[in-house]
Amino acid sequence: MRKTAIVAASFVGLAIGLAGCGDHSARLASAEEQVALAEFPERPLWGDTHLHTDNSIDAFGFGTRLGPDEALKFARGEEVTATTGIKAKLARPLDFLVIADHSDGLGAMRRLYDAPRLLIRDETLLRWHDMMHESPQGSQRAMAELITAAANGTLPEAFQDVEENAKNARTIWTAHLETIDKYYEPGVFTPLAGFEYTLMPDGNNLHRVVMFRDGFERTSQVIPFPGVGEGPVDGLWDYMDAYEKATGGKALAIPHNSNLSNGLMFELTMPDGGPITAEYARRRARFEPVVEATQIKGDSESHPFLSPNDEFASFGDLGWELGNLPLTRDKSDSMFAGEYLREALKRGLSIEQRTGVNPYAFGMIGSTDSHTSLATGDEDNFFGKHTGNEPNAQRALEPQNLGTRVGRFGWHYLAGGYAAVWARANTRAEIFDAMMRREVYATTGSRMVVRLFAGFDFSDADWQGDWVRAGYTRGVPMGGTLAEQGKAPTFLISALKDPDGANLDRVQVVKGWVDAGGQTREQVYDVVWSDMDKRARVGGKVPAVGDTVDRAKATWTNTIGAPELRATWTDPDYRAGQRAFYYVRVLEIPTPRWPLYDAVRFGFKLTPDAMADAVAQERAYSSPVWIGPKTAAPATAFFDRKRLSKG
Amino acid sequence: MTLPGWTREPLVHFLAAGAAIWVVLAWQGEPVDPGSRTIAVTREDRARLALQWEQTLQRPPTDAELDALTEQFVREEVLYREALRLGLDQDDAVLRKRLAGKMDYLAASMAETATASDATLQDWLRQHPERFAPEVRYSFDQRWFATRAAAERAMAVADPPGEAISLPPALEQTRRREVEERFGDAFRAALDSAPVGGGWHGPVASGFGWHVVRLRAREAGEVPPLDEIRDRVEADWRSATMATRKDEAYRVLREAYRVTIAR
Repeated sequence: MRKTAIVAASFVGLAIGLAGCGDHSARLASAEEQVALAEFPERPLWGDTHLHTDNSIDAFGFGTRLGPDEALKFARGEEVTATTGIKAKLARPLDFLVIADHSDGLGAMRRLYDAPRLLIRDETLLRWHDMMHESPQGSQRAMAELITAAANGTLPEAFQDVEENAKNARTIWTAHLETIDKYYEPGVFTPLAGFEYTLMPDGNNLHRVVMFRDGFERTSQVIPFPGVGEGPVDGLWDYMDAYEKATGGKALAIPHNSNLSNGLMFELTMPDGGPITAEYARRRARFEPVVEATQIKGDSESHPFLSPNDEFASFGDLGWELGNLPLTRDKSDSMFAGEYLREALKRGLSIEQRTGVNPYAFGMIGSTDSHTSLATGDEDNFFGKHTGNEPNAQRALEPQNLGTRVGRFGWHYLAGGYAAVWARANTRAEIFDAMMRREVYATTGSRMVVRLFAGFDFSDADWQGDWVRAGYTRGVPMGGTLAEQGKAPTFLISALKDPDGANLDRVQVVKGWVDAGGQTREQVYDVVWSDMDKRARVGGKVPAVGDTVDRAKATWTNTIGAPELRATWTDPDYRAGQRAFYYVRVLEIPTPRWPLYDAVRFGFKLTPDAMADAVAQERAYSSPVWIGPKTAAPATAFFDRKRLSKG
Repeated sequence: MTLPGWTREPLVHFLAAGAAIWVVLAWQGEPVDPGSRTIAVTREDRARLALQWEQTLQRPPTDAELDALTEQFVREEVLYREALRLGLDQDDAVLRKRLAGKMDYLAASMAETATASDATLQDWLRQHPERFAPEVRYSFDQRWFATRAAAERAMAVADPPGEAISLPPALEQTRRREVEERFGDAFRAALDSAPVGGGWHGPVASGFGWHVVRLRAREAGEVPPLDEIRDRVEADWRSATMATRKDEAYRVLREAYRVTIAR
């Protein structure tokens, strides 16, 4: 009942804030129309769909004092001063940004901080107020308490006052929407409206970033949907559905940190324990076309427990695999299968076989989840998970303050990933639509250019001509679905290195399928790698590429690896009628991770376990291509699009 | 948890900060002023407390509640004054930072709410054309080679074929940041010094290897008229003006101090 009330309340005040923005909206709309659409996407657009500013309750609590303005300036390439006083700038600007502040208590921490002490009646709030004013460390302790309280459902009542929160959220949301419109330059830089839905039963992370396709006129008709204490996730989909019906706009949700969900993000059952219904599967696939595979709080692509034959499966798993987000619950082995994306994609096939609909037919992106207003993804320019670990000599070895128990250290944080989007132009609509059709991929921060096309008649000869056109006209790009033709699919795969980054080690195809006995299976194929003549397979494995990293200086050289790896690859093990997905994983040669840069910059020694993890192979994960029996309802039916219309 | 509107008023901040400074100075310089031992809660004070209550709880306080609020106010005022007398405000990092921040805020707040006239913005645009001019655009052909030697050999050929790589062989009027995104920093820098309109030039190094380049055009963009980019100009003017106000205010205050630093 309460949920319905919130949804209804969200639409109240329809007309508020519309006045005064008409001119601006009209100007933006005309600027959008003037942006030329390419016939096919020409280059990936780079962005972060998951950035927090001082409007996020925890980001503010952790100390950040930079708001959306600074976040947008920084993302488009300008220099800003971080909260801790250090100058910050991206080596290369981003093409788009989604500021996704927590919908719960939007701006609440800043209001609590600014509130006259006299007026704070609640003991807990008063303590947090004082802690925040006492010192940055106090502020971080207050935040840790707040996250635990949210996880345990013991937030102070003032934070749970629906009406009051809605009123505050309305004020901040409207101002925020005006801000992002101010920075929107169609064709050049695109901020999209969004927020984070922070559903977290028992501290198990079921968070989603919600992202809108539309501008002020539509997005100002709603306010961000609260997540704490509510659930199940259907409530969010109801909200999105209502938004689309009422405004004619579009919204999508991006689950993230499934690695901290303790097995709940990709269950084989409904949240209430019953078998997944076709209706649930349909709604999930429709509203959640993309999942965040990698970010600062770890990587969720694969885990060695689930993929013992994949020697690259463990990237970004250390520390995070111990339990849920605040470490209030430990993790047991049986939970991994509901957390890692490769397994979820397999589960999706198996549910599709049973119900006719695949709930987990998602594409993959990376993002930061930075709480500093700074969307940094580069290892040598990492500004921390939150303001408490902006660059300083201690952050790599300190225990994390999220989760008060042992086991997670600063160096377990990754530097964060980025989302690569194959859009025809840099506008809100084109970026959003590319996400809906899953023509996107994830990187762990590097800007590799990855193309993947699947069809039935590709050959090596295609590389001689305009192979991108061939890919789009005779096949489907990443994120697409192939209708079965009784023969093995063939793929055109190209991975081009980051022009200012490391060379490439290898390109792999990860296949998941349902076997004749109904069991899900997986296989990782090395399809092309650098120096193939010198690196012949040994015992079925391609030998390691080597390692040029100088641990004492945090430097490396591109004397190994390749600038581009291309392959035409046909599945050698395909059997007619098989229900399968294929995605590409690209590995760079080993390079230093941020803790090693820190150790050199600040002159300290990493502990042996931190040192063992100080060098890694950055990577990219493409969205999958699916193939299956023609009779099955294709998961893409809802956003019926396999080919790009001519622009 | 609504912050009452008056607390955002610069005037209120100014008065509060002024009062605090006055109290400190009064205490430091003179024997205790009996006046500072007097707390007069005016009707206006009481009305303000009642209003705050109402804004928080959406109903006016009862008489008893208002009395309790008043007592709380007096208690805080007494402790506040005694704290100042004891010098507890000294060396308090949070207080220092917060008061300093309020001074900055005061200086900048006028600029935050001021609306800029067209003339002001036109001036601003004229003074900082580089911030609003579109980026340089390049039109060029390029061929890629894995080694420098291969690229050098290709220079001798009229139309070198290049080796296979997924980079565009030609780009038309492409913005600087896009060229940088696709070819990297070093390559884009080389385009800035390459001759325009000649034949093949190079070899030019990039993160991919070596290129020969034929730069056909390098165009600096013209500044658009104000009405097309008014929002951008205004945002830029506002943030720059706020920063300038802060700096100016600080400089005026700073001039009144003699600072010595032992090294």
